[in-house]
Amino acid sequence: MSYVSVSLPQLLLSLGLMALAIAISARNHLALEKDLAVGTVRAAVQLFAVGLVLTFVFQNEHPATVFGVIAVMVVVGGWTAARRIAHGPGTGVLFRYATLAVFVSGVVVLVPVFTFVIRPPRWYEARLLIPISGMILSNAMNGVALVFERVFASVHDDAAAVEQLLSLGATPKQAVDRHLRAAMNAALRPTINGLLTVGLVALPGMMTGQIVSGTAPDQAVRYQLVIMYQLVAVAAVAGALAARFARRLSFTDREQLRTFADRRVG
Amino acid sequence: MPALLEARGLRKAYQDRVLLDGVDLRLEAGTITTISGPSGGGKTTLLRILGQLSEPDAGQMILDGANVGALVPHEARRRIALIAQSPAMFPGTVLDNVRTGPRLAGRDFPESTARELIVRAGLDAQFLGQDTRELSGGEKLRVALARAMALRPEVWLLDEPTAALDPERADTLLRLLLELAREGAPILVVTHDARALALLGGRHLELASGRLGDEVAARKPA
Repeated sequence: MSYVSVSLPQLLLSLGLMALAIAISARNHLALEKDLAVGTVRAAVQLFAVGLVLTFVFQNEHPATVFGVIAVMVVVGGWTAARRIAHGPGTGVLFRYATLAVFVSGVVVLVPVFTFVIRPPRWYEARLLIPISGMILSNAMNGVALVFERVFASVHDDAAAVEQLLSLGATPKQAVDRHLRAAMNAALRPTINGLLTVGLVALPGMMTGQIVSGTAPDQAVRYQLVIMYQLVAVAAVAGALAARFARRLSFTDREQLRTFADRRVG
Repeated sequence: MPALLEARGLRKAYQDRVLLDGVDLRLEAGTITTISGPSGGGKTTLLRILGQLSEPDAGQMILDGANVGALVPHEARRRIALIAQSPAMFPGTVLDNVRTGPRLAGRDFPESTARELIVRAGLDAQFLGQDTRELSGGEKLRVALARAMALRPEVWLLDEPTAALDPERADTLLRLLLELAREGAPILVVTHDARALALLGGRHLELASGRLGDEVAARKPA
C-alpha cells in the first residue's frame, strides 16, 4: 500500500465544502457565515503552523526539541483546564495544580507505554512521542477541567450540607466525599463510553489516519487499542489528582470550608 | 466555675465591615446565655466562629481548658453542637441523619437510641423512617437537635431555634434546652423571640456594632 499525497491545488478544491456550509447558513439565515469563514481560515493557519513546527522538530530531532514541544502541551493543557472555573480559587492558583495533574498523569500513562508497549527505535522519536502524547495530555486536560468545574460548583451549591457535616465532626475528606466521587465518575464517563462504542459508531481518528496513510488495519487496530486504554487510565489518574487538589483547595488548614468570590465565567 | 467555652478578643471583618470588634464571652457549664442584636450585626458570624466553621481575624478560644487552635479541628467540632436557623438535612431518612455524627466517628448507633433522641427532640418515633425531603422547617430543626444530641456535645450553640416553630412546639424545644443545661452543658442561643428570652432566662447579651454588652445577671436554670 502506498501513501496518497494531496497537492495544494487539490487542497484548495476542498474549500468548496466550506463554501457549501456557508451557502446553507446564508440561505437558512443561520448567521453562521462569519464564524464559518473565520473558522476556515483559523483552522488552516493553526494546522499549517503546527505542520511547520512538526516539520522543524522532525528534521531537527533532538530530545530537547521533542520534550520542549511536550512541555508546551502540558503547560497549555494546565492553563486551559484552570480557566473558567466558577466558585474556585481563580485561574492563577488552579493553573499550578492543573499543570501538575496533567504532567503527573501524563508521565504515569506515557512512560510505561513507550518503555514496554510501543517501543520507539530512538527514545525521543518525535513522530511517535509527539502525536501520542498530544492525545493523552488533551484527555488529561479535559479530565482535570471537568473535575475542577464539578467539585467547586457542587461544593458551592451544597455548602450548607458540607458545613453541617463538618459541624458533626466530619473531616474534609468525609465532608466532600460524595462530590469528589461524582466528579471523578463524570470525568471517566466519556472515555468509558468511547471504549464501549468504538468501531460501532465511527472509526477512531488515529486508526483512520494510519489506515489512510497505508498502515495495515490489524496494526492500526493494535495502536488504537493501546491509545484507548491510555485514554481511560489518564482520565482516571488526572481526575483522581484533580479531585484531591480541589479538596485541598476547598478547605483551610483549620478544616473550614473556604468561600470563593463568585467569578464571572464567560 | 471554669468556663467550658471561652472566647477572648474575637475580631472579624468582612470586606470593610467590622462584624466582631473584640468580643469576650464565657460560656460556663450548665448556664444559658441568650444574644440578640440588629440583623447583620454579626450574631451568626459569632456562632460560626464559636462552632469552628469560620476563623476569626484575631482572638482566642478555649474549650474545656484547652486552646482550640491546638485541637484537631474536626474533633473540636464534634464537641460543640451548632444548630443553624435552617439546618441542612442529608439525603435519606431521619434515622440516617441522626446516625450521621457517630458514623462519621466510626461508631455504630443503635436505632433504639435514635428513637429516644427523636422523641426527646419533640417528634413522634414514627418519624424515624421518614425521608428528610418530606419534613417541614420545624421538623427539620428537631431532627437537627436529635442529630446533634447523638454526639453528646459539651456545648450547644443555636441560631434562632424557635423561628420556624409554633408557640407550643417552641416551648417544648425551650424546655429541652433547659434540660440540657441542667445536665451540665452551656447553652448559647441567638434569639429575638420574647417568649424564648422569658422562658430561658439566664444571661442576656446584646451584640451591636461588633461588641457584646448589657449583661444581665447570669443564673442557673432552676
